[in-house]
Amino acid sequence: MELGFDFIFPQLMAGMSRGMLLFLVAAGLSLIFGVMNILNFAHATFWLLGGYITYSVLTLFGPTAGISPLLVIPATLVAIAVLVLIGFAIERTLVQKMYDRDVPEQLLLTFALVLIIGDVIKLIWGVEDRSVFLGLPPVELFGQFVNLYYFVIIGVGITVFAGLHLFLHKTSFGRIVRAAVHSREMVEALGIRISTIYMVVFGIGVGLAGLAGGVVLPLTPLALGADIDLIIQCFVVVVVGGFGSIIGTFVAALLIGVTYSFAIFLWPDGALAVIFLIVIAILIVRPWGLFGTELRT
Amino acid sequence: MNELNARALARRIVTSPIRLACLAAILVISMAAPVVLSEYWLHVVTEILIFGLFAMSFNLIYGYMGQISFGHAAFFGLGAYATAITIRGELAQTGDIGWGLFLSGILVAPVIAAIAAGAIGWFCVRLTGIYFAILTLSFGELLYYVVFQWYGFTGGDDGIQGLRPPAFILATEAYYFFTLMVVVVASFVMWTITRSPFGYILRAIRENKRRASFLGINVKLYQWVNFVIAGSFAGLAGSLWGPFSRSVAPGLLGWQKSGEAVFAALIGGANYFLGPMLGAGVFTFLHAYVTKFTEYWPLTIGTVILLLVLFRPGGILSFVPDRIWAMPGTAEIKEPKDTQKKRASA
Amino acid sequence: MKKITDQKWDGILKSIDRRRFLISSAAAGVLTLTPRFVSAAAGETYNLGVLLPSTGAGANWADSAIKAINIAVADINGRGGFLGKHPIKIHYRDTHTKPDVATREGRSIILDEKVRAIVGTYSSACALALQEITHEAKVLQLASISNSAKIVGANYSSYTYEFGPNTKMMSNAIVKAVAKLAHRNKWKRYITIGQDYEWGRNIQRGFVKELAKLGPDVKLQRELWFKLGESDLGSYISGIMSLKPDFVFPAVAGKDSRTLMEQGQAMGLLKVTSLVGGQITTVELQQQKDTLPRGLVGMSRCAFFAHLDEPLMQKYIKMYRDAQGQYPTDMSCMNFDVVYGLEQGIQKAGTIDTEAVKNALKGATLKTGRGTRTFRKCDNQLNVPTYIGEVFDDPDYPFPIYNRDKMIVVEAEDVWGTCEEAEAGRKKRS
Repeated sequence: MELGFDFIFPQLMAGMSRGMLLFLVAAGLSLIFGVMNILNFAHATFWLLGGYITYSVLTLFGPTAGISPLLVIPATLVAIAVLVLIGFAIERTLVQKMYDRDVPEQLLLTFALVLIIGDVIKLIWGVEDRSVFLGLPPVELFGQFVNLYYFVIIGVGITVFAGLHLFLHKTSFGRIVRAAVHSREMVEALGIRISTIYMVVFGIGVGLAGLAGGVVLPLTPLALGADIDLIIQCFVVVVVGGFGSIIGTFVAALLIGVTYSFAIFLWPDGALAVIFLIVIAILIVRPWGLFGTELRT
Repeated sequence: MNELNARALARRIVTSPIRLACLAAILVISMAAPVVLSEYWLHVVTEILIFGLFAMSFNLIYGYMGQISFGHAAFFGLGAYATAITIRGELAQTGDIGWGLFLSGILVAPVIAAIAAGAIGWFCVRLTGIYFAILTLSFGELLYYVVFQWYGFTGGDDGIQGLRPPAFILATEAYYFFTLMVVVVASFVMWTITRSPFGYILRAIRENKRRASFLGINVKLYQWVNFVIAGSFAGLAGSLWGPFSRSVAPGLLGWQKSGEAVFAALIGGANYFLGPMLGAGVFTFLHAYVTKFTEYWPLTIGTVILLLVLFRPGGILSFVPDRIWAMPGTAEIKEPKDTQKKRASA
Repeated sequence: MKKITDQKWDGILKSIDRRRFLISSAAAGVLTLTPRFVSAAAGETYNLGVLLPSTGAGANWADSAIKAINIAVADINGRGGFLGKHPIKIHYRDTHTKPDVATREGRSIILDEKVRAIVGTYSSACALALQEITHEAKVLQLASISNSAKIVGANYSSYTYEFGPNTKMMSNAIVKAVAKLAHRNKWKRYITIGQDYEWGRNIQRGFVKELAKLGPDVKLQRELWFKLGESDLGSYISGIMSLKPDFVFPAVAGKDSRTLMEQGQAMGLLKVTSLVGGQITTVELQQQKDTLPRGLVGMSRCAFFAHLDEPLMQKYIKMYRDAQGQYPTDMSCMNFDVVYGLEQGIQKAGTIDTEAVKNALKGATLKTGRGTRTFRKCDNQLNVPTYIGEVFDDPDYPFPIYNRDKMIVVEAEDVWGTCEEAEAGRKKRS
């Protein structure tokens, strides 16, 4: 097994893309948990919903095979918009009631949403998988072929990361959100309605999931049940990175994506288990994650 | 008030007419079941018993210790596989299994599960809340993958087929009674544990860990022991599953299976000893019934859980007034809401 | 083209469709019962179970199978049902591709709905678990999509009948073609990539073993396995490409084959190596018609275009197109054969009594869409062929099929091996 550049470079690219996709889904989860302390089991299901909506919008433009890549953008925007609204609605009606409850009950509520939304997707779209094939030729880089779409994903991932960072650190709303993380009471004492903050944050989080769904659609066929596998990986990413830390999520996602990419060749039998070994190690040694603060444990 | 004293226990049961009536009703119903129910529904009841035992073992961690584990099915699955591996050899060769081997298959399951729970629990009890949940989930998934990958030993994704109880209890009614017997005995043992000083210390830990440790209680040790006990009973439940289902598959160890135990505890009521058994019954019955009419079972159960969590998190048994259930002097402590929130982060 | 764009509403329609078919097939059966004053020609309902998933990686394969079953049942009920007097009632259950669900649902429809036969399953693991139940309950299990050799081998049951080519047959079939190609192209090294579950492991194992015999100088460089339903195969594909094998054998079925194909193309996999021997069934040919690389060598299980001269196949094509507006897929084709095969078994037995039907099917010769076929006595495997071909645009169809000039139809007798495993399985059962 030659570990030369010829092997490392493409694996790295594939791993980074994988990690970036994970980040895109997990970012919203991390945000929601960081601010509201709710671990949204249904987050990957929102991702799936976003993908399906994007697909349906794209079909309005004609057959999806060989479709112009630029059309993916408006389609994704529609998905994001729909999901943000759904996020608002769900927060107002259901999640809001769970703030005072225990962790198990919050988990159960969001898990119920997984089941419900999953079946609603099945009801609306049926059981066939959905795929959008752009037919873009691979790019030749350093003598290796790379999937052109990887650059799109990495670009979107970095943009989302930067965007979130700017949002949280440079906008006044973002600053309020960060303040709410530290002390809900103080923010309320300042006359700011915490319930609005929570609603917006949940909406943004869910919208991010929708974005991730739209972005991934040109890369992979989506089918019912894809959310179930993905949510566990999201949890792992958020735990390893540290709850509430966007940079932690980013780093952890990339770490896990790249590790998987190499593990399947270097340790094939254990590749699927590697992700769990990582999270177990982190939880034992440093439960608050790579970038989390001890306070949050 | 020595709860561990069996005589005192018996006296308490006998002196409470409502409890006596309940027990008598349960006895009559369980005896009548094979007569009244069709063969399929008797299968369902047997499944409820096994699942209920599994859920009650989970509740030792959830209801009594206040932590949610998403990896509990790993012990159930390990138990199932332990039994399957023990009995498959003779079954393949002779088509039947002797009592000796069968019983040792049943007994080896909780032992294997206990060992696994001991190892895993040692790490898990260091954490609480969401971290405990995710760590247990991760260990569960790790065990799942070990079973899945180890094709030569466990059959991997094929699973292990050809499992059967001994000819004497092969018939549906017979296996039902056998399962009933095992589950009743196991439940009684669990009940005794929960009513023992050990059980009360667990509750104290659940209510306020810090205060309990100030009393000199080695919190981690008690949590660990509880984890091992819970795992063992899950393993015992698993041992009954293989011969019942005629096969085992890796899915028995997965987190979705663990989730079913959580549902059962929630539906029935995690604050009540028999809550998870009732919850298992409702869940399994609903599943068996609903799938006759629709393929949208997840939507159905998801809605049920949603409504329960929102409006009745205490579960079905919370509809019963406390007076009826409480044994004299053993009322569950009802906490005011804001301290409950603190408990999650303790 | 119009058909493709309506995908959003397809879902609702499809889910209603199934129910409509169920209702209409039962209704059709009722309507054709002769009026009471004529005679008691109506007999007892024939309860038929269908255990296939409607979610998960296998759903798109199972879907066309379910449609075909509904159509066939409606057709038979239009004639009064089996033997003209036993209207068929379908009892469909979703296995969720989980063996314990398959077990429970199997028991449910056997004990409660009193089904006499179960058509299914998708995953071989579910089929194996179900066999324990059907054998014990003495209910027929009619398999087609679930085709692990273990079903008719180590786990043999006298109540299980396999209507599709099993994994051993398929891997043996493709191995011959691949060995020829390897010899011609001087291929020396290959990699396998497969779905890590029973079927995938089974078919890969068979392929590797047989290729080692037929082409000893062709070496297995590496085995790659991914989780069923894995949505991102990029890391696998890039790794394969850096290893530069002469060819790749995919042990992949269902949605994941689409993932592999589409992501492979986006990464230029086919510029570096050849992908040979994958499952390119009529599902893939229709679903990926715009994207499937022409010239790709693959295999399928029931290629309608290989039997256009068969009157029964023409009937299937017509029925399926009338009902669904599409050509029948491999899964539809096999399951048409299952239902009509069952009908023939019942006709031969003269009764719907399961034991009689089971005995009638034993070693029976059936008229199928694939011609006249016979069950092998030792393992109840129908002697159906495996189809190997190159993806090719044909002017007769709106999607590519196999190049009919170069297509190879590998007959069962050449590849199904001995009865050894089935004998061992039979011993285990008694």
